[in-house]
Amino acid sequence: MGPNRNISILLTVPALLVVALLFIYPLGFSLVGAFQDKAGVWTLGNFGRAWELYRLDTAFTVVIVLVSCVLIALMSIAIGGYLTLGESPLAKSILGFLYRWPLFIPFIVAAQCMRTFIARNGMMNMTLVYFGILDLDQVQGFLDWRGIVFTFVWKQTPFVALMVAGAMAGLDRATIEAARNLGASRLRILVEIVVPQVSRTLAVGLVLSFVTMMSVLSVPLMLSGQSPSMLTVNMAWRINSVGDYGTANALGFVSYLMTGFAAWFYLRHGMREKAGQ
Amino acid sequence: MSARLEIDRVEAAYGSTRVLKGVSLDVAPGEFVALLGSSGCGKTTLLRTIAGFMQATAGEIRVGGRDIAREPPDKRGMAMVFQSYALWPHMSVAQNVGYGLRLKKWDRARIDRRVGEILTMLKLDGFGQRNVTQLSGGQRQRVALGRALAVDPQILLLDEPLSNLDARIREDVRHEIKALQKSLGITAIHVTHDREEAMVMADRIVILDAGQIAQVGPPETIYNAPNSPFVAAFMGATNVVRFDAERAGETIQVAPGASNRAARLSRSGPQGFARGKLVAHFRSEAAELADAGADFADSLMLPGKIVQAAYPGGIWRYSVAVGDSQFLVDAPEKRALGDAVAVRVPADALHLYSAGAS
Repeated sequence: MGPNRNISILLTVPALLVVALLFIYPLGFSLVGAFQDKAGVWTLGNFGRAWELYRLDTAFTVVIVLVSCVLIALMSIAIGGYLTLGESPLAKSILGFLYRWPLFIPFIVAAQCMRTFIARNGMMNMTLVYFGILDLDQVQGFLDWRGIVFTFVWKQTPFVALMVAGAMAGLDRATIEAARNLGASRLRILVEIVVPQVSRTLAVGLVLSFVTMMSVLSVPLMLSGQSPSMLTVNMAWRINSVGDYGTANALGFVSYLMTGFAAWFYLRHGMREKAGQ
Repeated sequence: MSARLEIDRVEAAYGSTRVLKGVSLDVAPGEFVALLGSSGCGKTTLLRTIAGFMQATAGEIRVGGRDIAREPPDKRGMAMVFQSYALWPHMSVAQNVGYGLRLKKWDRARIDRRVGEILTMLKLDGFGQRNVTQLSGGQRQRVALGRALAVDPQILLLDEPLSNLDARIREDVRHEIKALQKSLGITAIHVTHDREEAMVMADRIVILDAGQIAQVGPPETIYNAPNSPFVAAFMGATNVVRFDAERAGETIQVAPGASNRAARLSRSGPQGFARGKLVAHFRSEAAELADAGADFADSLMLPGKIVQAAYPGGIWRYSVAVGDSQFLVDAPEKRALGDAVAVRVPADALHLYSAGAS
């Protein structure tokens, strides 16, 4: 067993090296950078500046991402729920075919599409005006936080829906039939029987989406240039225009804390569930 | 409260495949009926059609005289126990059992009281707050039964509820379910592919074959007087011998054949039989092993030799090669492989059918 064990440790070395060099080192470097000034002296000044200039944007980022997560959860439950409990095979196959498309569209292209779709004179408003649902003088553009949320939800719902629908399809159908047998409506079955059984998968999807949305630069940059903006835009600005890596690193540290909190929340939930079983 | 269930020429299909081909069955209030058949015979489809999870393409299903064939599952007054138990893993035992009552908008205190009664009845006192994932198979099965009984259904549907239990527990639970059903007086339809389970539990057994009812009757009738070679084989009479015979008064004269010696049997044979080929089925335990040269009156004698022996417990089970055929025969004594023997089948152990009957 001894030599075998050594060989297996040896086999993991390349992978560990790649992780250490390409992930842990740059991450540690930027984390450390958050606590140093340009001369390399330890300081909290970067965080002071970040707080002074970007506290509103930090709150803005959290709200946008959380609102998006809630909407993504509702939409993916609705899609997965219809695919699992729907009774029209045709509607199910059309929905199953359509909902995945945004998965294959990059964020930047999605943002570009949205600019032409939800702008004041964009396709959405013009269509609504054409059908007489809106008056031309009533229309307003959505190229602000609402546009970001719209794009995030549009782009991330298919991903979470794919996971959730897969988990729902893997459920024992009899647990659904047992509820139906006792008289539960389809909505009740979805809320009380199906969703609780796929809640872990849903949580994983949402945590992954949370982290993804926290790191997207193109969407907030293209859809909402004006203040307030998201942290990624601020970081890009600090680096590209001001050459201020310290503040950018401090903002990165804040982002990391947020995603770390999401990951911790997910892990804790998972551990509790395991302990419960 | 139990109800009469009438199934009247019910048909059902999966796509273009007809699974039920006009099934008719009357189940009296409080009766326990087992649907028995091999895989794919339509027994589960029939149960699911009764439950409303599948739509009948033709026919009527009446409960207490009311046609419910087009009603949704929850409007049929039935509760089902599933093969996988189908308990909700995110709910406690009490929540599982009380869910149907919550749907009926009972108040909390009343639900608690009813759940308590059910748990006591099922010997699950003290388990109410447990998560169902912490229970053994037998306990889960009882929770599933409790969930179905809590809503006080007119008809209880059981879809192979014991097939996931190990053999020892299965026997206990069989008797528990049967006793419970009798004491509640509830009408029950039980799907199973286990012959013994059906025999032990049911008042009447329905044998299904290819979407049609092959025979209906009390267990002893189905066992002792199977009406077709299919039912005979399904009920364990798997040894088959074919011979030419002729009716002579109240007896049958059997001509010697490839497997059998000539014999006179005190049986009248299938209805209307005068002369021709007969197919006889018999069980391994109904036959005996005799010495090669021995001859017995009123018995079919099949001379051959032992090619295999096994000891399933209590008796020896031999495989005897006779001509091109092989027969299984149980015997108390140990014999050597290769021994020349004669299989003796007493006339009253033979199930006789005209060749050509299916």
